[in-house]
Amino acid sequence: MNISSIILRRHNHIKNTKLVGRLFYTAVEEKIEIPKRIPRGPTDILRALESTLQRDPTAAHYKYHDDPYLMPKSNTSKRTYAMAEESGRKAAHWVRSENPELFNHKECDPAIDLFFPKQVYDENSEVTEKDLKDVIGKNQVSDAIVINKILTTKGIEVSPETKQSLLELLCYNNSEDTLDEEYIEERWFKQSSRLRERQRKTWKDGNIAEEIFISIDNPTADAYSAIIQGMAKYFQVDRANQLYEEALQKGFVLNADAYNSLIRVANFFKEGYDLRWAYINNILLSMNQAEVKPNLRTLNALLWALSTMGNSKNIKDLTLKTLRQFKDLGIEPCLGSWYYVLITFCKERGPKSNILGNILTQIEGKEFSIQDLADTNFFVTAMDVAKNHLNNIVLGKRVHNLLLKGNNYNLIGDSYKESVYYRHYFGLVLMNTSIDEFMEQFYYKMVPNIYVPEPAVMEDVLKQVEALGATEYLPKLWSDIVIFDQNLREKLINIVLNIMVDNPAKESSELAERFFNIAWDIYTTISEQNLEKINRLSFTGDMLGSIMTVILRYGDFEKACTIMNDLSKSHTTILGVPKFDALSLFVDHCIKNKSPTRAIVCIQYAADSGFPEAVSLGAKLNQHLTLDEIHLNKLSNIIDLKLQ
Amino acid sequence: MLNLTKNIERIIIRNIEKQYIASYFSAPNEQNDDFKALNLKTNKSQFGPRRPLRKVKPVETRTSQMEVDQDWGSVWPAPRSFHPAVVPLPIRQGYVEKGAPPDKYANAELMKIPNFLHLTPPVIKRQCEALKKFCTPWPKNLNNQEKIEKLFPIEVISSDYCHSSPTIRDPLARIVTIRFKKSALNLNERETDKFRRLVGERYNEENDTVTIVTDRCPLKKQNYDYAMYLLTALYHESKNVEPWEELKNEADMEKYVWENNASKVNVERLFNKTSSEIPNISVYSEALVNYMNEGENDYTVAKYGEAVKQLLNLPSSTK
Repeated sequence: MNISSIILRRHNHIKNTKLVGRLFYTAVEEKIEIPKRIPRGPTDILRALESTLQRDPTAAHYKYHDDPYLMPKSNTSKRTYAMAEESGRKAAHWVRSENPELFNHKECDPAIDLFFPKQVYDENSEVTEKDLKDVIGKNQVSDAIVINKILTTKGIEVSPETKQSLLELLCYNNSEDTLDEEYIEERWFKQSSRLRERQRKTWKDGNIAEEIFISIDNPTADAYSAIIQGMAKYFQVDRANQLYEEALQKGFVLNADAYNSLIRVANFFKEGYDLRWAYINNILLSMNQAEVKPNLRTLNALLWALSTMGNSKNIKDLTLKTLRQFKDLGIEPCLGSWYYVLITFCKERGPKSNILGNILTQIEGKEFSIQDLADTNFFVTAMDVAKNHLNNIVLGKRVHNLLLKGNNYNLIGDSYKESVYYRHYFGLVLMNTSIDEFMEQFYYKMVPNIYVPEPAVMEDVLKQVEALGATEYLPKLWSDIVIFDQNLREKLINIVLNIMVDNPAKESSELAERFFNIAWDIYTTISEQNLEKINRLSFTGDMLGSIMTVILRYGDFEKACTIMNDLSKSHTTILGVPKFDALSLFVDHCIKNKSPTRAIVCIQYAADSGFPEAVSLGAKLNQHLTLDEIHLNKLSNIIDLKLQ
Repeated sequence: MLNLTKNIERIIIRNIEKQYIASYFSAPNEQNDDFKALNLKTNKSQFGPRRPLRKVKPVETRTSQMEVDQDWGSVWPAPRSFHPAVVPLPIRQGYVEKGAPPDKYANAELMKIPNFLHLTPPVIKRQCEALKKFCTPWPKNLNNQEKIEKLFPIEVISSDYCHSSPTIRDPLARIVTIRFKKSALNLNERETDKFRRLVGERYNEENDTVTIVTDRCPLKKQNYDYAMYLLTALYHESKNVEPWEELKNEADMEKYVWENNASKVNVERLFNKTSSEIPNISVYSEALVNYMNEGENDYTVAKYGEAVKQLLNLPSSTK
């Protein structure tokens, strides 16, 4: 029953390929040469097919459901949806770890370790050195610690190699578990990079790594290298240096990465730039003496140290010299190295440097894979330089093309870096192209699936629309503002309203109706806010005046009256007053619609708000409409009607 | 053990319950297996005021943002069931008594049928271009079907399967089929006869093809080896003559052969000549063979009659 159902299911799967070959080739008259099969990997065909695809601008990332209701349209929903999926994944992991006995069926062939429940180790587990090696291989720090403890209590000897790799694991991770590699979304949305940039001591003194280091009799050079790297990585710099001196005294040859890590923390030892450089030179000299060959990470450490040493011409020369020397050694700089070069040359307050162009000519059209953590900083910094340092759109486009080349997009970093990158790119394009080109080539193609503009970027776009009077884009922008949950931002609303007031649409055109819809939409969203909401946005007089103007231009007198009512009723609570033009327009429409009562309300409001022109409004009303006694009385109560 | 502690807990809770029965009634009930109090008079105050339903605005589908010259292959890269928000075509499918067929939204008919939206001609073209680098050229001299059949008489067919599941194995992948023309084996009549008896229904008379399907071993390689073994065994067994095969007599013959039969002897005796010297004998023997092998019908009987008359020099009835 079970098997037949499986087979039935299988029958529905796609039959992938049909291999037809003919055998028994017998050479009779002529020689037939069959070409050799072209070797290919198991996924090469899929990759070849994938290479025919481009990014579909209307589709969301494939981690989201392709459904109009489930496609995220704003930054928050992007994050929420992805994290919801991730939390489902975590829940599944939790269920599996709670009931491991239920998950012992082995459907997969070949076996996939991740599908089976995780082995749990405690004091009573039977473990051997092989288990320890396994967990070290799988980067399970806490398990490795437990197993090591069991092994020592039971008195089982561990080979020096395993001990060394355990020490390396603990030093690399600071004896802490890292986030599981499976949780891609959490890594993507976590803003860990910003935290990491803050340099402070996080090394746990007296942790297990240190214990193991002490427990090794006669520690080798490798053990010293590991512990020095660990301490330097987590900024326990004094003891790292102390151990370094100790190792030197014992005459050990440390590995290149230990020297690199010491170069990286040089700024902790020496305050002055010259002293620091001298110290670094010292390390390099001892590297030379020990005949340790420097590697790419040495280059990056040096460039990083140089980037922290201020703005002088000398430092820039040193940077270039370092690059050249390493090139002579046959070490090609990676993207991370170029990132350090960029931050050395393009300081905020320093002179302008065109080094980005030179770097791009070197690396354009190449595909990169990650070699250094700093690689992920390159694109965002390069775009930052292109926008804020040079304001050069050609360079910006070149950087973007490099990003889209091959698999380079993997080096964008995380969601935060990605959005900063696009913020700069958008800003750069917006400032340097026509609004039409910007909307056609960039906005429509990237928003919202690739990038959702932050309110500040949206403000820039709106300002550009305002400056150029490109009102035809306003409806689209407003609907995006609504979708991105930015429709309660006062700045954006004010700009939108200003654009509509300053650029009146042609009467009874489609645009006029859209303007009316936008204005009424703004009015309803603000007035229908939840009363308990903190940070409620409240109307200002100016805002209401603008809304009223747009509505009156479209010709909806009734709706304008409700706004006028709001204005006059909550005169004391609404901040500021509308422009006089708005009130005057309202009175004009009152005259048109022959409703003197409403006009008088407006004049009353104008007078209360302290407009001296209220008198002229009254005069206008009186002139165009024949008022009855009551109205005249009211009017004369408000203003000194000396006209008659 | 766990149950026991649970029971004790329950007893304790029951005692407390008795003491504070009034206040306990409304307290949150942590024990799952306790009954809830039956509330016959529905107490409306239990429910809070109904929140007004939030209206969900209909959202714009992706199709409205699609450009006319977009790259459709990237929008629909792989086979998937129909999705109205992705396909920018006003398709209708289904049947209703009166009116037009239902449109694409929420249309199960459209989702049921397989679509080939991922295999549009330009996509096929560019996928072929991408796959070209894995292909080797066809051997130059191998330019017609005859040569192919002559030089490569055996065809081997097997399938690989690719689907999303934890395992990469598929039981159907083990099946191996080999196909060849019987004429390629160069067997004589007796051997052919034995071969056909051995292969049975695997031989297709119409196109002279033998098809052997092997699926009894768990792996493709094993099944292939087994098929090759079967082919070898069949060939040699057909060539082999067992002693009991010599004992085959007239009654065992699967066909009537005039030369071996009493009819020949009788005719020779009648004319007192060897059969080759008798005029019109070939017509007679042919008619008789037809009569015996095809069975008795009007045609064979008439033909036989004609042949006998010719043989005996009697006047033909048609003349």
